[in-house]
Parts: sequence; C-alpha cells; structure tokens
Amino acid sequence: MEFNTEKARNEIRKFIVDSYLLGDESIKFTDSDSFMRRGIIDSMGILELTAFLEQQFSITVADSEMLPTNLDSVENLIGFIKSKSGS
Amino acid sequence: MSGVSLAKDNVSEADEFMKLDQLLRQSSQLFGDRPAVIDPERSINHRQLGEAANQFAEQLRRLPIASGSRIALLMENCVDYVVAYFGILRAGFVVVPLDTSANGETLRYILDNCEVRVLIAQSRYRRQLKSVFDGGCGVDYLLCDSILPVGSTALVKIKFGDTMRLDSILPELEPREAGPSEIIAMTRNGKSHELAAIFYTSGSTGTPKGVMLSHLNLVSNTQATVEYLKLTEIDRTLVILPFYYIYGNSLLLTNVACGACLVIDNRFMYPETVLNTMEEQKCTGLSGVPSNFMILLGKSTFASRKFPHLRYFTQAGGAMAPDVIRSLATAFPDKEIYIMYGQTEAAPRVTYLPPQQLTAKLGSIGIPLNGVAVTIMDENKLEMPSGKTGELVVTGDNVMMGYWRQPEEQEEVLQDGLLFTGDLGYKDEDGFIYIVGRKKDIIKAGGNRVSVKEVEESIVSHDKVLEACVIGVADPLLGEAIKAFVVMKPGLELEERELLRHCQRMLADYKVPKYFVVVDSLPKYQSGKINRQLLKQQTP
Repeated sequence: MEFNTEKARNEIRKFIVDSYLLGDESIKFTDSDSFMRRGIIDSMGILELTAFLEQQFSITVADSEMLPTNLDSVENLIGFIKSKSGS
Repeated sequence: MSGVSLAKDNVSEADEFMKLDQLLRQSSQLFGDRPAVIDPERSINHRQLGEAANQFAEQLRRLPIASGSRIALLMENCVDYVVAYFGILRAGFVVVPLDTSANGETLRYILDNCEVRVLIAQSRYRRQLKSVFDGGCGVDYLLCDSILPVGSTALVKIKFGDTMRLDSILPELEPREAGPSEIIAMTRNGKSHELAAIFYTSGSTGTPKGVMLSHLNLVSNTQATVEYLKLTEIDRTLVILPFYYIYGNSLLLTNVACGACLVIDNRFMYPETVLNTMEEQKCTGLSGVPSNFMILLGKSTFASRKFPHLRYFTQAGGAMAPDVIRSLATAFPDKEIYIMYGQTEAAPRVTYLPPQQLTAKLGSIGIPLNGVAVTIMDENKLEMPSGKTGELVVTGDNVMMGYWRQPEEQEEVLQDGLLFTGDLGYKDEDGFIYIVGRKKDIIKAGGNRVSVKEVEESIVSHDKVLEACVIGVADPLLGEAIKAFVVMKPGLELEERELLRHCQRMLADYKVPKYFVVVDSLPKYQSGKINRQLLKQQTP
C-alpha cells in the first residue's frame, strides 16, 4: 500500500499538539522546526513519541534509530516512517 | 533569618574562607591550557574561562546595584552559563540559577521572593519571560540576547558568545547609587559563611524555598566530592543534567575546581546522540539520576558499547532500584559506580557508596564524605543505635545557611547547625546508611522533589473537582511516579485528558501526575483527614 504522506503529517501533528502543546493549536511550529530547539518534547516525551510511531504506523523503532535525524521534526519523522515502511 | 545577618563590613576582605571563584582562579593558573567547557557550539579552556568571567564581572559592575545583590540565570547549559555564573560571583553578587522548565508564575515568585535585581536570560525562554514581565516583576535589569517587551524593567541587550558584552542599554542607564552592601553573612562553629548562591527547591507546602548556600558550603562540598571521585585535570565529564539543578551545579564546580572538562550535551531526549558525544569526546565520567540510567539501559545501545575512556558513573537524585544498579554493574564491570545521596540544603553531597562496596552493600547510600557527619536520630534528637531507624541528621561545613526569608520552614529543618533531612533510615554495623522512607509528603519523581500539597491544590482548583489525593508509586523510569486519585463534584464528570491538561497548565512538567484515577470517595481518618497511607497500601 502506498504511503500517504499527507495523512501521516496530519496524524503526527495532531499527536504533537495533543500530547505536548496541551491541545493549543495557536502555538505554531513548522514541519521543519526542531522539537528539541523549540522545547516541545523532552526525554520522557520522546519515549511516548516512539510508542506512538510504533502503534500508529506499525513500525519498530530500534534503539540505534533514536536520533534527531529521524525524530526531531515532523519532516524528519515522515522521512523516517517512509524509510521504515519501505516506500 | 536566625543567625544570619547583613554584614556590616565586606566579609571577603577578611579572607577567612575560600570563595567559589577562587576555584576558577586556581584552575586557570594551574591548568590554563586544558579544556574547561565544551558545548556543541564551541569550547573554552580554563584560562579563557577565567578571563571571560573577569570581563563579564567588569560588565556587571557597570550596573548600579549593590554588592551582594541577587542575579538570576535563566539559561540552558552552555559555555555562556559557566562564564556568567563565575562572572556574577567574581563581581561580588549572589547567583540564583533558575529552573528553565518552570512556568512564568513560579519564576516571577522566585524573582520577587529573593529580590533579584538582574535577570540574565536567553531569548529561547521568551514565553516564560513574557509571562514573568506581563505579570509585573520587580527585576531592575533584564540582560537578554533579544529585544523583549519587559514593562518597566530596563532591558540590556547582551551578546552571548566569545566575549559576553552588554551591547546596548535600553534605556540609557541613569546615574544612580548602587546602595549599601547587601552581602549576607554569618558565623557558625567559628567559620565564616557568606551567601554565594540561592537554589530554589520545592517544599512540602508547595511554595518554593530559597536554599541559601555560602561560599564555604559549596567550596567544602566541592573539595570533598573531588576527593572521593578522584577527579583530576584529565577527567572529562559528560553533563546531561541542568546546571540549575544542584547536582548539575556540583558537576560544574567539581570539574572546574580540579581543572577537568565539562562536556555539555543537552540532547538527552536522543540518548544515542548523547552516547555518541560521550564516545567522540572521550568522556571519563557520566553523572545521572535514576531515570537517565533507566533510559540508557532500556532504550539505547548503551550497554552494548564499550566506552574505553570512561572511568566512572555517578548516580544521585533519588533511590535507584537495585536491579538497575546490578544491570549497570553487569554491563560495565570495569567502571566505577558511585551511588550518592544528598540534598540541596547540604550543597548537595552527604554520602557516597565506594564502588568497591557496591555489591556487598547494595541498596545503601554509603558513608558520609569527608567533613560531613550523619547521625540517625529519634524524635527526641537522641542518636539511634545501628540497625534502628530514625531521621538522617547532617552536620558539616556543607549545611546551608538557611532558607531565604522563611524562618518557620528553616526552624523545622535547621537547628544549631543540624540539618534534619526528613529522610528516614538506619546504619548497619559497618556504618553504611540505608534509607527506608521519608517523613514528609514529598514525592521524588525523576530526581525532582514534588510537593503532594501543591499537586493536590492544582487538581482541586479545577471547577469540577471535589477533592484529590496524590501519592508516589514505584516507577521504573522515574523512581517514583505521581498518581492522583480524584473525586468529582456530585453529578459532574471529567475526562482524564481534561485533568491532564489542567495540570499541565498549572504545574511544571515534572509535577504533572502520570496517572489519574477517578474514584467515588477517598479513605479518611475519623478526623476527616485523607488516609494517604491506606491509599498507598491499596495501590499495587
């Protein structure tokens, strides 16, 4: 099945807003904004994020893949999920 | 403030004690060319650090504020933090490190509580700063790297970087008197204490308490810690703990004092990145709270790597489960593991478990460090024999001067130089100390002290909530996690999600309960007081 980038983007953004921004949609962040630099997610939050990815996108996040290049922005997440999904 | 007074004369001139910035002076002279601080942007050696702190102190002296004035830092770990920290001390002011995760209301309380005159902040905290200044704040000067609207406070543009300069001053500083000295000093056991730093910590009432630490408190504790960790100028410590946290502050001071190097990496949320830094920078030490080690052991390649340069681990900030200690020891049989105990009021180290005793005394917090004594006392302040449980009471040069303007709270814990820790424990026949519980209603989540009262009050402030009770439950990551039992007002319903959001709005992240349970009623004593103990016993 072809990877639906737009759907994934919306699901990720909704998770970020609901889980880390108290559902406050007025707080703006772009797809390329670093979660770390913007202070959106902390070390506990990243564990929730990987649990979400594994459940929502049926992928497995290996310990060695917990890197900013994979996880630190919406863009990076989409690229990472795509690569894991083989699309 | 019993026993503490404004000094009539500048105590520093008496030179009766070593000041904190002398630690840097010494390391600058002895180990000038050795690296002092490395962050992802730049690095600085001990000589450069000394010079930068001098220059920044000169800049600070341009401000018309009295010696002994409080200057707060709202900054992430970086080279600039270390420069600013020593610059403040060298210029004769008192440093107040601020928790960068605190909300604006808490920060404003702290700034007003200890009458901070100058706030040095990075603009990345603009949301909190806006909240601080929108609510009205008595700070005279904000030194920031960006123009922010700050009400009547004078904004001084600061340039962080190679030379921290006060770039432009808006508005121009009006000539004014600095005022009389505000240096706070006292004598205890014939030794002079002069206030160097104030660290805020949660109290059982929920109101942050300003722990006043003197130069002697911090210097003596730093020297004793350097000694038992055998730190030298060849050490390179990976710093993942914030400097505003007393454990992080201890890393800063111990490493600077012995000419070692602080390798800063603020990306612990990506453990692999931090491990890569540790490897690439050839770090010799790693210090963390239990959750750090849990995450590293459970969610990273930590245990399968070798780290040939690594010599030791230190762990403090709450009890780490014996299973985790065993896992760490099994993964790294050739590294020294130091289990440590302390509290902010003790500047902070009180005891350490020598690595060679780790297996024989598993579960112990060890023995007091040099210059510190721990007595187990009963309620009548009589020493308990070995094997009997009582309160851990600390004496030594590391015991705080007191709480900032909170004489009643101070009287509860500090009497005649004795620090009553609130922790209950016993000594075995060899003098090794074991902690078994706490006297006060405090939860220690992820190394942070959390007042159950503060969390309960926040939950009850929700319109639909009738009452709430909060307890700590065992948690593999946090040591203790916060669990809230909530009773709704009759006929009203509330989703857990709404409660969570409410708490997130009211509390710092680490104080937000991990679990919410809506119940019909809470167990109570005949007096009507909630039976927290029963709730704890009934919770698996």
